Amino acid sequence: MDITGIAMGYAIQAENLTKTFGSVEALKGASFNVKENEIFGLIGHNGAGKTTTLRILSTLISPTNGSAKIFGYDVSRQPEKVRQIFSYLPEEAGAYQQLNGIEFLEFMAGFYAKSKSEMNTIVEQGKLISDLGDRLNDRVKGYSKGMLRRLLIARALMMKPKLAILDEPTSGLDVIQSVNVRNMIKSYADQEGVSILLSSHNMLEVEYLCHKVALINQGIVVAQGSPEELKAEYNKPNLEEVFMEVTHNE
Amino acid sequence: MNNLIALIVKEVKELVRDPKILIGVILMPILIFPVMGSAIQISQESVQRAVRGASFAVWTNDDGFVTDAMLDYLYTNNTVVPIVADSLEDALTLFASTDSSAMVYIPEGYNDNITLGRQGRIKIYANLRSLNMAETQSTDLVSNLINIYNYYFSITKIQNLLTESGGIGTALGYRNPITLDYASILKGSVLEIAPSAIFNLVMSQSIMLPIMVMMMVMFAIQMAATSIALEKEQKTLEILMTLPVSRMTILGGKLSGSIVIAIAGSISYLIGFGYYMNSAFSFVPEAMSMNISDVNLGITPFGFLLVGVVIFVTLVSALAMALSVAVFADNVRSAQSFTGVLVTPIMIPALVLMFSDIEMLPPTFQYLLLIIPYTHSIIATKAAFLGNYFVVLRSIFFISIWTVAVLYIAAKIFSTERIITARFQLGDLFKRSRR
Repeated sequence: MDITGIAMGYAIQAENLTKTFGSVEALKGASFNVKENEIFGLIGHNGAGKTTTLRILSTLISPTNGSAKIFGYDVSRQPEKVRQIFSYLPEEAGAYQQLNGIEFLEFMAGFYAKSKSEMNTIVEQGKLISDLGDRLNDRVKGYSKGMLRRLLIARALMMKPKLAILDEPTSGLDVIQSVNVRNMIKSYADQEGVSILLSSHNMLEVEYLCHKVALINQGIVVAQGSPEELKAEYNKPNLEEVFMEVTHNE
Repeated sequence: MNNLIALIVKEVKELVRDPKILIGVILMPILIFPVMGSAIQISQESVQRAVRGASFAVWTNDDGFVTDAMLDYLYTNNTVVPIVADSLEDALTLFASTDSSAMVYIPEGYNDNITLGRQGRIKIYANLRSLNMAETQSTDLVSNLINIYNYYFSITKIQNLLTESGGIGTALGYRNPITLDYASILKGSVLEIAPSAIFNLVMSQSIMLPIMVMMMVMFAIQMAATSIALEKEQKTLEILMTLPVSRMTILGGKLSGSIVIAIAGSISYLIGFGYYMNSAFSFVPEAMSMNISDVNLGITPFGFLLVGVVIFVTLVSALAMALSVAVFADNVRSAQSFTGVLVTPIMIPALVLMFSDIEMLPPTFQYLLLIIPYTHSIIATKAAFLGNYFVVLRSIFFISIWTVAVLYIAAKIFSTERIITARFQLGDLFKRSRR
């Protein structure tokens, strides 16, 4: 087993990832590393290659070329090992409409828990993170967008994965809901030491949440570093302007 | 194993709690069929009531003791509307103004003809006002009355002639010199039952079985396609595919969950259809007098086991096929239009074999049907009833090969990224053909 990643304390090592769908080249050689306990942001336009990168790391699709490792496990060759230690929240994901919140959390917890008591612990954690109270007894089909997102983030974090991959975690939410979700992610990552990779096109969100970011444009990582480093390097007051500068010059 | 059970329970909950599926697949058959059966029963009973209460008219233009005897017979135990008229034309006008649907007309010369040993003629006029079943049945009722009279009258006349002439034999022997008896040889044993009676019995089974198998497979296909399309529509598929559970377990969960609902739907259909057959055809007496075990056509436990295997492999292949196809659909609606295409090869053999045996068809058509795996499902269920286990086993072998092939394709699709990236809409075909 390759444990280089673990030895160096890396949650993710992505090297020269490429992906083509027919004649479309979605990724053209993306490389970046995410350290353990780090919140890492992937920033880019719609169609820049963010979701394709996250789907490769989540073992859903295979890279055409290049390699990606999660805690040392190769996502293409050892997907079953990867799936044991990470969780993935897709953009605009849903939950089973006919189950209630508790049933949904129990169903998901069942795949990770080795005993009934462990399952109860995971579900209790899910209840806490979601903060949905009695509404967890209602069917998911009656949930608002914000409630659904809280439930899904709780699902992604409750089993304390070593890595959580969140694709546009606040997508479609209003300002208050977005703030709640951001706080939820930040406090959980700080408390539990979970590594998080998230994608967003909201620069404020990324600046607030992430220790380190990678700017992706047309399938290539064009710049990476901490928000402060990037702002200093490009002499811009915020990440949004850094992003405009970098993508404009490309 | 626990993961598989969790997936099956989730599948069943999702499908059963969906009102469209609960009502459409499980509740509808159990509610609609009895309603249909009761409606047919009510209309049949009202026809029978109308016939029982039917009165008929009688007009005679003849007299004499033979005519009087006939009139006595008709008036006794029946509601007769006497017509008093001077001519047939007037009699028919009067008859038309009554509620009766039939009029017995005894023309002049009836009495004399019979007295002189010639044929007497009686005519029945039927008044078809609204062309309903009760009108023809009251004509039949009068015909039967006269036929019974005719039979006993002829027997008595023959008996009298025999006595007068001192001849030998019985009146019945002269009236019907030949009587036909039937027996059927079935599975090597001789049964004192007419082949037509056995055929009717087997026919009812051979219609029911293909319907049952067809319905079950169609339900299952619908369930499986809906279940995978729901995952896509609700955007839960990506989460499901990143869980620490093998893709084969996910596929197994989907197959088993759909089978559970398909079985529930089929049982509901069977109960509803059974009730429908019982209530709709309760007025047919001969159907009740014999059952399949009387004619040694009862299915053995081994036969039952084989039918179970046939249905199981048929279901698994149909489900795997539905899942493989539904993966390419974006939502439930397009998945269901895909399954519409799949249902056709199942419908064709079921409909054809409902009324015919495969051997009776033209050879080319036979080969075409035999290519469709679901033809073998129906052949096998019929053969199990006749104890032709070789045919059943041959069919199981054929369907199993097909099932393995379809499962392999489904497993391939589930284990690759196609399950996430595959997109296809029926409209694409038209767009492509336009280009």
